[in-house]
Amino acid sequence: MAIKISKDNLAALVDSLRRSGMRVVAPVSRTAFTEFAEIVALDEADFSQVNTRSSIKQFLFPATEPILSYSLEQSNVKLECEEPPEPRKTVIIGSRPCDTASLPILDKLFSWDCEDRFYLNRRAATVVISIACTDCDDCCFCTAIGLGPDSKQGSDLLLVPGESGCYNAEPCTERGAELVKQHEKLFTQSAAPASVCKAVLEKLPKPLNLDRIANWLRGHFYDDFWQAASLKCVGCGCCTFLCPTCHCFDITDEHGRYRDGRRAGLRRKNWDSCQFAQFTLHASGHNPRPDRASRWRQRMMHKFLYYPERFGSRLCTGCGRCVRSCPVQMDIRDQLKAIESMQADDEQHL
Amino acid sequence: MIDQLRRRARELLTTGEAACIIGYANASVPGKAAPIVITRAEDADRLVFHAACCNNLAVYLTRPEIRKLGTVAMVAKPADVRAAFVLMQENQVRPDDVKFIAVDVTPAGECTLLAQRTREELLDYLVKNVPPAELADDALKDVAALEEQTDGERWAYWQQQFSRCIRCYACRQVCPLCYCSRCVADKNRPQWIETSAHGRGNLAWNITRAFHLAGRCVGCGECERACPAGIPLMKLNRKLAKDVRDSFGVHAAGYAFSGEQLFAGYSPSDPNDFFE
Repeated sequence: MAIKISKDNLAALVDSLRRSGMRVVAPVSRTAFTEFAEIVALDEADFSQVNTRSSIKQFLFPATEPILSYSLEQSNVKLECEEPPEPRKTVIIGSRPCDTASLPILDKLFSWDCEDRFYLNRRAATVVISIACTDCDDCCFCTAIGLGPDSKQGSDLLLVPGESGCYNAEPCTERGAELVKQHEKLFTQSAAPASVCKAVLEKLPKPLNLDRIANWLRGHFYDDFWQAASLKCVGCGCCTFLCPTCHCFDITDEHGRYRDGRRAGLRRKNWDSCQFAQFTLHASGHNPRPDRASRWRQRMMHKFLYYPERFGSRLCTGCGRCVRSCPVQMDIRDQLKAIESMQADDEQHL
Repeated sequence: MIDQLRRRARELLTTGEAACIIGYANASVPGKAAPIVITRAEDADRLVFHAACCNNLAVYLTRPEIRKLGTVAMVAKPADVRAAFVLMQENQVRPDDVKFIAVDVTPAGECTLLAQRTREELLDYLVKNVPPAELADDALKDVAALEEQTDGERWAYWQQQFSRCIRCYACRQVCPLCYCSRCVADKNRPQWIETSAHGRGNLAWNITRAFHLAGRCVGCGECERACPAGIPLMKLNRKLAKDVRDSFGVHAAGYAFSGEQLFAGYSPSDPNDFFE
């Protein structure tokens, strides 16, 4: 039997979660931009926007965080605080399905060859209540990547806007079911929900043939396409930093502070971008990705070939932030379409 | 107007006067325009110029990938011409390597192709017709409001603004005058500026960026437009432009393509004794 929750009861749910000591995070429009931030009551949240400017990844994988601290006494290095801090129990409410779908993608990455406890501890302490989309903008392309406005990937509880301000609720994980059970008085029975996402589906692009794209990428590491495709790129990190799935980081030591008379410092984990020249710069001075073309190629290859080969899904959820925020209007959708059609041509001539 | 612009671009490519044209094309997102680099005369029809053409295309003049193509002709708004002039003044671009397809928007909002083509003609046009936007009375109101605040208020204001910085360096990368092949922010032996997006690192980065543009910024506003965190970077740039004007009595940057630079010149007769 389907269930639903009214707007008033959603507000009561937020109150209850906060009373139990959880941090509640939702999209808010406190400035000219809508961004995720902690709220104290539901009326602070703004679910009317297509999406927030930055993604929810900042709550699991922040732009900068200390991973250990150290102090120096003459030539002896003493390591301190190597354990990740206890994460704050958090509920993210109002995440769009494209953002939520980034979580299983990041989970695989951060638990792959070594377990990143900084990420995984936060992930374990985070419940995600996503809200399906009833609108999109010119940059959204979830449907091109095989997702949709009501995708459940990564969500613990999916809310689909329904009639008279109610949300049809669908628990997608045990965590979601548990949350509903703990607050069952706030949820009511509902007739099977009619999808409100149909109208938005018509505005979203057609699915791309992602296998075809991967096949082209596999055979075209060296190709003039990359030079042409990247010529206008200015090499900033907007696309990677706003992307909900980009996860590369740099490790840097910040020292020079003194503690108890000893030099001390922090080792930090900071977002890094494959679009930066320094990203692959070797200590020798050699740079295996010396130009814009090779850096742009890396971004496309990683998203649509390397990650899929290793983990079975794409490193993209079609949220459109890279298109929306690019200062020079690089459009990954156009490039994917061009690659798809080049591969189709190649296949015809086989 | 657009036919004239395309004709001129075609002419430059066909005669071989330019190896490539940097201009604007309509972007895939409706209502937006994007930079485009064309090398074939038949692609000239893709060029457009309208209100959404905002990028400062002079940013491409120093890019190695573009330099490799040969002589560049750029569709240039007044701010782009000013930036190109500063690049010439700073010996980053050889004057003969750049041709201008100069455009402007009239006060009535009409896009026009300028008859001026040489740098002398364009300099004359700028001096007579284009006062520096960054020093306009309206633009300086925000600066005046900040100047009236106490140190503590200003500190709190900028701390709050910089706290949103994610260190994507879009401000640097879209700036035609941030052309260093290795920015001080990327130097890590030693690390002059902390790369972490925390209070210290963000303050160090944003202040350094602004200072390095003192007397050089042409006020195009691209850094602020590109910033995905919505930091009002032009307030800093305008404050510096104003201080440069008031302290050194010089006109805004980009109104000369040769001669002495404000902060990069050396003279034994400098009044400050640390210059001896």
